Amino acid sequence: MAEEKLTPHTATPFRTVGRSALLTLPMLLWSLLIFTPVLRQHDTAHSLGTLLVILFTNFLFFKMMRTGKTYRWRRYFFVAVGLLFPVGFISSLLALRGSMSIPIERMVSGDTPFCFMVTPMLLIPAALTRTLIFPGAILPTESNPHSIAAMIGLWFAMTLVMGKAWCSYGCFFGGIEEGFASLCKRPHIRKIDSRFRLVPWAVLLLVVLLSAALFEPFYCSWLCPFKAVTEFSAVHSVETAIQTGIFILLFAALVVILPLLTKKRTQCAFFCPFGAFQSLFNKINLFEIRVDRERCVECSACLTACPTMAITPESLREGKTELNCMKCGACVDVCRKGAAVWHLKGTRIGMKPERVRLFFLFGAWALSTMFGGYILSNAIATLIHFLPLR
Amino acid sequence: MSNRIPSALAWTGAGLTLLIAALVPFLLINTFSRAVAHAGLRVDENYTGGVVVRTIAHGNYKTLVYQPVHPHFFQRNQPFVQIAFEPISALPAEVQEKVDLDGDGQPDVLVHFLRPDTAQNAVQGNISALNSRYQSVENANEKSFSKMILRIGNRIVLRVPMNP
Repeated sequence: MAEEKLTPHTATPFRTVGRSALLTLPMLLWSLLIFTPVLRQHDTAHSLGTLLVILFTNFLFFKMMRTGKTYRWRRYFFVAVGLLFPVGFISSLLALRGSMSIPIERMVSGDTPFCFMVTPMLLIPAALTRTLIFPGAILPTESNPHSIAAMIGLWFAMTLVMGKAWCSYGCFFGGIEEGFASLCKRPHIRKIDSRFRLVPWAVLLLVVLLSAALFEPFYCSWLCPFKAVTEFSAVHSVETAIQTGIFILLFAALVVILPLLTKKRTQCAFFCPFGAFQSLFNKINLFEIRVDRERCVECSACLTACPTMAITPESLREGKTELNCMKCGACVDVCRKGAAVWHLKGTRIGMKPERVRLFFLFGAWALSTMFGGYILSNAIATLIHFLPLR
Repeated sequence: MSNRIPSALAWTGAGLTLLIAALVPFLLINTFSRAVAHAGLRVDENYTGGVVVRTIAHGNYKTLVYQPVHPHFFQRNQPFVQIAFEPISALPAEVQEKVDLDGDGQPDVLVHFLRPDTAQNAVQGNISALNSRYQSVENANEKSFSKMILRIGNRIVLRVPMNP
């Protein structure tokens, strides 16, 4: 294979079209296998949407193989999922109940689709009382296929493979702010205290303890910025009006304005408690990014490129990334000296980094295209329905 | 030699991770989902209304009386008892019924509501407490987890707040 000819530290691996296509072939077969049921079952709009998704995801994977770069191509997919998720989700809510707000009737009948963000808040109440503090259904129903068991099963299976990379390959919320962060060429705010990256841990602790004490998913009730583009409790009191106001303000500040000003994923880096929780799974995941100290010239390009400040001057001196590294590959792609490398725990730093990248990407991309692919095809089908062509 | 073993284990682990990824849609999602479903967990009674303790048959329709639901820890809701009337299609146009909530043979509340004609119609009704343990619900449109008169699917669900 081409990467065998490369030295481990080559900054820009390069493959021929043929070899890149050969490496993309398993992914193409995988996507055909995964999406064939959708192609067979749904209407023309869904079939067309699914075909576009297969072409799109495999083109991006081919480009990853061809250029040796990860971040840029992953970002196209991730941002597309983030921006189109609300389209499909909101339109299905409008079709189902005529509103983005979830009425109390739906909560009582267990019709709230489960969101993986709730997972850490469920743990203490479930351990102490065997009770799930979420108004959904444990098993899938006709009116709520996104049941608690199904969504936790999906999230856990993907987390085993990806670890914290869920946040840069799987999370359909992260793509929204990554989209906004990529709009400006240069950041307007450059100096950010790296200690801000500890805030998500504080928020995680706060919401887990408050959720256990109040016996309700506190983050979802009061702090989730993405309620602004998904669903929220129907406004029927001063309290629910305040909650909705908070959702909109947090969304505007953390997902739109600050990413535009800083070119960072500010919600993920400085607020998201689920992201902090997900960081713990980096401990059991074999894939990571390391910095080869012998090659590093301390140009700080990786620090600037990292969208979540997972590389700090201190971590750089140790040749490590912080626990919140989501393996997006931005630092590896910008490092001109080939010092930032994909690394497999238990091996020497710099040992076959491209092979490590391939092992990681095959798993992560397969699952993210499976998960995000359904979201994309659903959203594309929705858009086609709205087009005057039909 | 000492570096080879961890390295071999790492590459084996990387291969296994790929295998796990391939099994996710075909095996693992269902396995993990079943594990969660069979973990003996239940959705908070504050949402579900709890467990039915008594069923009162009225010919074509029936009244279900649930176990009282008390708040956990610092949960902000009041304790309540849920009552349900089902199926809606078999209900008379106007329902007025005294219901024994605690099973002592004495009626605790008087429930009065009009059967909604369509799924979109709000339920018009009220609950009058006949026992000081329970609170009356005057405003049919008032909605909270411990105080409601709502149509949910093919049933009318009422929640009677209890005095703490």
